[in-house]
Amino acid sequence: MSNKFYTPDGFNDTLPSVCAFKKDAESKLRRLFSLHGYEEIETPGYEYCDIYTKPDFVKEEDLYKLTDSKGRLLCARYDGTIPAARYAATLAKDRLPLRLSYIENMYRFNQTGGGKQSEFTQAGAELMGITGSDSDAEIIAMAIRSALEVGVEDLQVSIGQVGLFEGAVKQMGLDEETALSVRNAIIAKDSVTIDRTAKEKGLSDSDRNILLMFAESSGDTNILASIKDSFTEKMALDAIKNLEEILEALEDYGYTKYVSVDLGLLGSEGYYTGVIFKGYTYEVGFPIIGGGRYDRTVGVFGRDMECVGFSLGLSLAITALMRQGLELENPAAEAIVGYEKGNKDARSSAISLADQMRLGSTSVILDTSGMSEEDLNAFADENDIQTVFWINGGKD
Amino acid sequence: MLTIALSKGRLAEQAIELLERAGYDCNAAKEKSRKLILEDEKTGLRFIMAKPADVPTYVEYGAADLGVVGKDTLLEEGRQLYEVIDLGFGKCRMCVAGPKELKDGKLDSIPNKRVGTKYPNITRAYFEGVKKESVEIIKLNGSVELAPLIGLSEVIVDIVESGRTLYENGLDVIETVADISARVVVNRVSMKMKADEIRPMIDKLKVQVDLMNQEKEG
Repeated sequence: MSNKFYTPDGFNDTLPSVCAFKKDAESKLRRLFSLHGYEEIETPGYEYCDIYTKPDFVKEEDLYKLTDSKGRLLCARYDGTIPAARYAATLAKDRLPLRLSYIENMYRFNQTGGGKQSEFTQAGAELMGITGSDSDAEIIAMAIRSALEVGVEDLQVSIGQVGLFEGAVKQMGLDEETALSVRNAIIAKDSVTIDRTAKEKGLSDSDRNILLMFAESSGDTNILASIKDSFTEKMALDAIKNLEEILEALEDYGYTKYVSVDLGLLGSEGYYTGVIFKGYTYEVGFPIIGGGRYDRTVGVFGRDMECVGFSLGLSLAITALMRQGLELENPAAEAIVGYEKGNKDARSSAISLADQMRLGSTSVILDTSGMSEEDLNAFADENDIQTVFWINGGKD
Repeated sequence: MLTIALSKGRLAEQAIELLERAGYDCNAAKEKSRKLILEDEKTGLRFIMAKPADVPTYVEYGAADLGVVGKDTLLEEGRQLYEVIDLGFGKCRMCVAGPKELKDGKLDSIPNKRVGTKYPNITRAYFEGVKKESVEIIKLNGSVELAPLIGLSEVIVDIVESGRTLYENGLDVIETVADISARVVVNRVSMKMKADEIRPMIDKLKVQVDLMNQEKEG
């Protein structure tokens, strides 16, 4: 069977009305990033697989792979963060902190369906070379601003801190295997397994309640004050302080209404090192924003650098907006100019008229198919073109 | 409006019974008809009747906010979901089963075994992940017990409730892979965006599950 009529699974054409909205959103985001001093970079469409798989950031089977002329394994760009980290460690010589942004297509296996596709556009920003709650809050504020800029108004951002769980593990002296099973259960909000594991391992009631709290913390920002007394481990107390300071700073941005706390956000093991957050909206089953602090990642490429960043799934956000009732406008031209077929004077006048209007930022089609005046009017009607000019050469 | 995906059959009936005990009007879902979507605007609940294996998919993509489904299906599908309540019914075990002679460790003496199953992902995870061995998995769609009887495979991995089908065919449970029961799963976005409706529902269901467990013990 011939595949020439189809696009591959997970890949789609973007039709004019969606494309116009998307490109407009990209320009708004580009301007937003630039207004905040985030310099845009483009990284290669293909990287060596090793940058993703050797540090175990991404599973090999999730990458689109091909080989270069020497038989080395390459992969299509999977995300914006890892290439930015490689860039920051190897090429960027600027004084820190470094503010980078990107708007690029990403390629991932195992993501087909729903609003998620194998190819999708992400916009993101990375703040590199500094740490502290204020920089964490800056990135979360950037994430919220990005979503608002694109038009997502029903937005909820959940914020967690991986240090709190790591501190709890240390405080309770959990072995590696138990910690991992509790961790997976927390991510799935599976209190049954947490409860069972706690009983099997003979944990005290208070320890069990702390672990259950991770799975059941319900978004209320007041939870931080109430759990403080449960922790003695410095790592956990620092994490709570970090979260409190971030929430306080986000109040200054006026974003309190968008944020809540979710202590069950832990991300993939060993990647995030501090704050972690996800952003949600109605009508798509997946988070549209993801981000956090990843202080160990750039170090993998040979230069230690603290980092915090986020990415916005632009394709997913647009899917959500469309399902929420966004009416897309057809990007029709505003005017059309036609001329009498075969009349050179008319053609010359038509070309100058069209160009003159374009100088005034009006979009103009020059009809070169030789339509009659009647056909031209019918064509304009069908295609929502507002103004029609007909030039019949010197006679008018 | 909350959309709830139910696994067609016995599990759906039990789930509806539990929801009613928790104070939710489920008359819409009990309507005897061939409709696939059963909606009641008054109660703000919409039920979809799906094939069990599809319930995790509906919930992961957010087409349903929550669902009731067996742990076997969750393990096999491996979706990203919140798994919030063990309902305690629909209990059974996922087992490696085969001829009685393979009990007491003899299973391990067969190299490169062939395993017949409806659950290829669970089977792979168990043999490769837990037992650290490679096996040939033969995907079947029903009457899995046939496979070892006529020499298609040495053993099978399947759900065992009473074990009667196994015993009547001269087979037995050799190893237990996992304990199974019905679970409530929730979409990750719905949990945040519809917390006002979902949280109270989870809390009320948990109370009822505890009561039912106490009744059973008492």
